[in-house]
Amino acid sequence: MARHSKQDIKRGTNTDWNGAQPHDRQGHVVAKAIDLTKIYGDADNRVVALNHVNVEFERGQMTAIMGPSGSGKSTLMHCMAGLDQPTNGQVIVEGLEVSAMNQRQLTKLRREQIGFIFQSFNLVPTLSAEENILLPLQIAKKPIDRAWFKQIVKVVGLEQRLTHRPSQLSGGQQQRVACARAMMARPSVIFADEPTGNLDSHSSHEVLGFLKRSVHEYGQSIVMVTHDPRAASYADRVLVLADGNITQDLKHPTYDQILEVFADEGEEPSA
Amino acid sequence: MITIGLRDARAHFGRFIMSIIAIALGVSFVVGSFCFREMMNNQVDQMMASNSDADVYVRGNKEQKDSAASNFGDSSDSNSSSSSDSASTESQHYNRIDIALVDAINGVKGVAMAEAVYEVNGLVLVGKDDNAVSTTGGMTVGMGLTKGTWRSATLTQGRWAKARDEITLHTFAAESAGLKVGDTTKIVYPDGPADVHVVGIFSTVSSQAGAIIIGLNPDTAKEYFQQQSGQVGTARYLTVYGSAAGGQPLTVTQQQALADGINAALPSDAHAVAVTGQSVRDDNAASTKKALGFVQPLILIFAIIALFVGSFIITNTFSMIVRESMRGYALLRSIGASPIQVFVTVAAQAILLGLVGSGIGIGLGWIMVRGIVVLMDRLGTPLTGAVNPSISDMLVGLIVGVLVTFIGAALPARRAAIAPPIQAMNETVNPEKPVWPRGIAGTVMIFLGSAAWFLCWRIAWADNSGVTVSPWSWFNDGIKTLGTGWPLGIGAGLVVIGVIVLAPALVNSTSAVLGWIPSHVFTVTGRLATRNLSRSKRRTANTAAALFVGVAIVSCLGVVASSAKASVAGIVDSGLKSDFSAMSVSSGQIPDDAIAAIKKTQGVGTVSQSRMLMGVTYGSGDDATAAMTFAEQPSLFTKVFAPVTNSGDANKALRNGELVVGLQVAKDNGWKVGDTVKVNGRQVVVDEEATAKAQADYQAQVKAKVEGLTAEAQRLLASGDISGAQAKSAEAQQAAESAKNVDPSTLVKTKTKTTHVSMKIGAIIENSIYRSMVLINDDAAEKIANQYTMFTIMLFINAKHGTDLNGLKARLIKAVKPYYVVNVQDRDEFKSTMSSMVDQILLVLYALLALSIVIAIFGIVNTLALSVSERTKEIGLLRAIGTSRAQVRGMLGVEAAIIAVFGTILGMIVGIAAGVVIRAVYESNGLSALSIPWNQLGVFLILAILVGLVASVSPASRALKQPVLDAVASE
Repeated sequence: MARHSKQDIKRGTNTDWNGAQPHDRQGHVVAKAIDLTKIYGDADNRVVALNHVNVEFERGQMTAIMGPSGSGKSTLMHCMAGLDQPTNGQVIVEGLEVSAMNQRQLTKLRREQIGFIFQSFNLVPTLSAEENILLPLQIAKKPIDRAWFKQIVKVVGLEQRLTHRPSQLSGGQQQRVACARAMMARPSVIFADEPTGNLDSHSSHEVLGFLKRSVHEYGQSIVMVTHDPRAASYADRVLVLADGNITQDLKHPTYDQILEVFADEGEEPSA
Repeated sequence: MITIGLRDARAHFGRFIMSIIAIALGVSFVVGSFCFREMMNNQVDQMMASNSDADVYVRGNKEQKDSAASNFGDSSDSNSSSSSDSASTESQHYNRIDIALVDAINGVKGVAMAEAVYEVNGLVLVGKDDNAVSTTGGMTVGMGLTKGTWRSATLTQGRWAKARDEITLHTFAAESAGLKVGDTTKIVYPDGPADVHVVGIFSTVSSQAGAIIIGLNPDTAKEYFQQQSGQVGTARYLTVYGSAAGGQPLTVTQQQALADGINAALPSDAHAVAVTGQSVRDDNAASTKKALGFVQPLILIFAIIALFVGSFIITNTFSMIVRESMRGYALLRSIGASPIQVFVTVAAQAILLGLVGSGIGIGLGWIMVRGIVVLMDRLGTPLTGAVNPSISDMLVGLIVGVLVTFIGAALPARRAAIAPPIQAMNETVNPEKPVWPRGIAGTVMIFLGSAAWFLCWRIAWADNSGVTVSPWSWFNDGIKTLGTGWPLGIGAGLVVIGVIVLAPALVNSTSAVLGWIPSHVFTVTGRLATRNLSRSKRRTANTAAALFVGVAIVSCLGVVASSAKASVAGIVDSGLKSDFSAMSVSSGQIPDDAIAAIKKTQGVGTVSQSRMLMGVTYGSGDDATAAMTFAEQPSLFTKVFAPVTNSGDANKALRNGELVVGLQVAKDNGWKVGDTVKVNGRQVVVDEEATAKAQADYQAQVKAKVEGLTAEAQRLLASGDISGAQAKSAEAQQAAESAKNVDPSTLVKTKTKTTHVSMKIGAIIENSIYRSMVLINDDAAEKIANQYTMFTIMLFINAKHGTDLNGLKARLIKAVKPYYVVNVQDRDEFKSTMSSMVDQILLVLYALLALSIVIAIFGIVNTLALSVSERTKEIGLLRAIGTSRAQVRGMLGVEAAIIAVFGTILGMIVGIAAGVVIRAVYESNGLSALSIPWNQLGVFLILAILVGLVASVSPASRALKQPVLDAVASE
C-alpha cells in the first residue's frame, strides 16, 4: 500500500495545489505542507508517521483530518501547528515557514496566527472563564476588543458563566470557553485536536455548531483532527489519512459518505 | 515488591539528589552538633586533667557569693575588668584559706608536695615583633611555676624562672610570640611593663585552647596575685601531690585516702577542707561544659530546620514520583497487589534514600567538626579534643535521617497505596482540605505566645519599678519566682509554631498583597503566579517556613544587637562629656606610669580617674552584700558623665562624700536616699611586726652564713689551704655585701586590714553604665581602701580648650604606646568598641542565616519542581497559546520570589516582635534604646527576592525542556 501512497496524494491534492500562490497572505490557502515527512525512532525501530505528505488548507473552511489510530493525523496537525518538528519537508502558515522557526518565532506565530483547541480543554484552573478567554491577548500584550469578546461570548453562550472557574463548569462549557479563547485573538487558523473527544453527544453538537458558525459567519479557518465521523460531517472538507499518507480528500461529505469511506478503509487491508 | 521499589529508586536517582542533599545536611548538623559537643567536652576534660592535676585540693569549706552577679548589663558596662573573668569558669567560690596551712599539710604522711599555686590574670606578653601577643583563644595567664608545682607541665628547654625578670613560656605561648630561650622581651603586669628573659620552655599534654601561659617566679606570681585579690597570705586553694604512686597521679581511692589524712591534720579553725582532685576536676569540667553548652542547641536549631525542610522536600519528591508512577501502581493493584505491597514499594525507596542521605550526612558532620577544629587552629585556638563521631552519634544520625525520610514519604506512599486503580489511571486533582482550622489553631497559639511575652514584660517591668504584675496577688507571688526567662522562651516557641501552623491560612491574602506589584508589572504571568501559590497553600506555607525560622532568629538577634549598639551610642551621646577615654585591654588596670604619661601629654586639660575598690561589701555580718565600688573625682558628674538622677542630687552627694548608688544596687538592697550603710573595705598595710621579724630572720640568716664561711676559711687556713681560705673569705665577704644590697622591700611583710566606715546615701542614679555600681569620691575611698586595693580602671580625658583633638589623640596614643595595654579612644571609638563586639556576634549570625538560606533554596527549588511537574499540561498550554519562554520563567520566578518574601516577612515580623520584647524585658540591664535595623531588614528582603529568583531557574528550565507537544497532546 505504501507504494501507492505518493500517487494517491498527488491524485488527492493535485486540483488545488497547482493553482496556489505560494506566498500570498490574502490568498485562499492559509496553511500548507510540502513533502512533509515525520519519522519517529531510530534506524532499528522506525515508525514513519508522515510519508511525504503534501496538503493545503483553505481559508475560511473547516477541514477535518480523519484516520485510524496511528495513521499520522495527529502528527500532521502537530507539525502544521509548529508543535512538532518534521523530519523533512516544509510547513507554511500564512506564507511563513513554520518548520524553520526558532522558539522566539514560534511564540510569535502562536500569538498571531494560530489558535488551539484540545481534547482535554486545557483551561488554566486558577483563572475564571473570562480570564481564560482573554489570556492569549494578555500574554501577547494585545489590546482587548471588547465588542468582539461580547460577540464571541454570546455565540458560545457563556454570558452567565464568565466569572466561574473551570472546575465550576461542565465539560461542554469548558470546551466552549476553550473555543472562545481560540477565537479571541482572531488567528489565521485554529487547530482543534479531537475537540469533542471528551464530550457527550449533546455537548459535541453545541461545540461543533459553534465552530461551524465561526467558519461561516466570521470566516475563521479551522483544522480539526477527529475520528468521530459525525464530527467530521460538520467540516467543509475531510482528509483521510492512513499509514502516513492522505488516502481520501472529500469535499462537503455527508455523514453517510464518511461512514462509507471508513467501511472501504476497513475492507482495504483484508483485500 | 521491595525489588520493584529498589529498581524504581535507581530509575529515580536524579530526582532523589535534592532529597539526599537535604537529608545529608540535616543529619550532618545533628551529628556535627553532637560531635562538636563531645569534642569540646573532651577538650575540657583533657585540659582539666593536665591543668588541675593535683591529687588533692585543699580549699575553703564555706561557699561564698563572691563575684557580683554578672548579668546582661555587663556587656554594656564600660569597664573591661569583667572580660578577663569571663573566660574563666563559672564555678562555686569558697572562702579563702591561709597559705600557712601548707606546712601542716606537708607534714601529712603520703604528701609529696603541697603548695599554693598563684595565677595572675590579665598579663600581656610582648612578642618578638614588639606587639602584644593575642589570640582568639583568649586570656594570658601567669602562673607561679617551679619544679614540681605542676605535674603535667614538662620542662622541655632551659629551666624554671627563678627571678623577677625571668619567665618560662608554654610551648604555644613561645610559638605565638616567636620567642626562644635566651630572648629578652617585655611582660605587661597590671602595674606596667617589665623587661624579662625567657629562661625555659615547657609543654603540657593537652593543648591550652589558645591560652598564653607564662611561668613566673612563684614569689612574683604571689605578689601580683595578692595585689589583684587585695588579700595577703590567703589562697583560693592549695594543691597537693601525693607520693603513693611514686610520682604518678594517684587513683581515686588513693586520692580519697590522702584527702582523709589531710583533713585529719587540718586545724579545726582553718575553715578548710581537703577534697580529691578528681572531684574538683569533675566539678570544674561540668561547669565549663555547662558554659559551653549553648553551642549545641544553636546548631540543633539549624539541624531541625534542615530536617524539616528535608522531610518536606522528600514529601514533595515522593509526591512527584508517586504521581508519575501512578499508572504503574494502578497496574500492580489491578493485577492483585495489596495496598500494603504498593506502600512497601514506595517505602523501600524512602528507606534506601534515608540510608544514603544519612551516611553522607554523618561524613559531612565529621568533616564539619574537623573543619571547625582546623579553623580554630588557624585563629590561634588549637584544640586537641577527639573529633571522631562515636557509634552512638552515628546511630542517632542514621535513625534521624531514615525516620525523617520515612515520615516524609509516608503520605505520598499512602496515597499511592489507597488510590483506587481506576482513579489512579486518570490524573485527578483532589481539592485541598480547607485551611481555616489551621488558621484558628495558629491564631490561638500566637495569641497565647503573645500573652506569655506580655506577662514576661510585665514581670520585668514590675521588677524594675515596683509595680505589681497583675491585680491578683496570688498570681503575682507565683509568677515572681518564675522569672522572665521561661515566659520569654515559651512565648517565642508558641509564636513560632503558631505562625507555622497559621501560615497556610495566610497564603491567600498574602500572595494577593505581595502579588500586587508583580501582577501589575507583568499582568498575566504575575497574576498566574500569584494564583498558583494559593493552589496548595500548605505546600507554599511549608516552603516559606524554612526561611521564616531562619529569618526570625536572625532578625530578632539583629534587633537586640542593634538596640545594644544604639543604647551604648545613646550613653555616649547624651552622657559622656569627656573628649577621650582610656582603658586597659587586658587586666582592666591602668598602670600608674601610664596615667602619669597621659597627664603629661601636651594639650590634656583634666584627667578623671575611675578607680575600682577591691572587695567592698555593704552591711554587716552575714548580710553584707558585695557591689562594684568606684572611687571618682568630685567633678565626675560635671566633667565626664551627666547623671541621670533617680533621687537625690548626685553631684552634690559626690562632692560631699556621700554614696551615689546605682539604681540596681539600691533596689537589690532596698536603699533609699538618706539611709546610712556600713561600708566594709580592705587595705593592705605593712605588717610591722612580721616585717621586723622577717628582717631579723634574714639578718640572722646572713650572719650565720657569713660566720659559717668565715669559720670554714679559718679552718682551711689552719690546714694550710691558703687559696681555698681566700676563696671562702671572699665568698663570705660577697654574701655580706649582697645582703646589704638586698631590696628591703622584698622583706616587707604585708597584711590585709579590714575597714568599716558608715556612709550616707546621697543620691540614686540610673545611668545604665552606673546601674550596678556604687560611686564615692576619692577622699572617702581613701578611708575604705588604699593604693594596694584600688586600681584605676578607666580614665576620662578632657582636652584643654582650643586643642586640636586629632593631634591630641595622636600624642596620647604615642604616650601610652610603651604600656602596650592602654587603649585611648575618642568618643566615636568609645561607641564603636561595643559596636564591633556586637558586629562580631552578628557575623556568626549571618553565617547561620546563609545556611538557612541555602536550605530554603533547596526547599523552594523542590516545591517549584513539584508544582511544575503537576502543571506540565498547563504550562504546555500556556506555551501553545503564545507564552514566551521568558514569560514562563518570569511566572515561576515571581512564584518563587513571593514564597521567599512571604517567609522572610513572617520571619521579620516575629523576629522584630521577639527582639522588641527582649529589649523591653532587659531594658534595665542596659538596653535602654530600641533600634530596629531597617537597612539590614531591607537587605534581607531584597535577598529573599533574589533567593526566589535563583531558586526558580532550574525548575523553570525543566518546565521549558518539556516539549509543548507532550504537554498538550491528549493520550
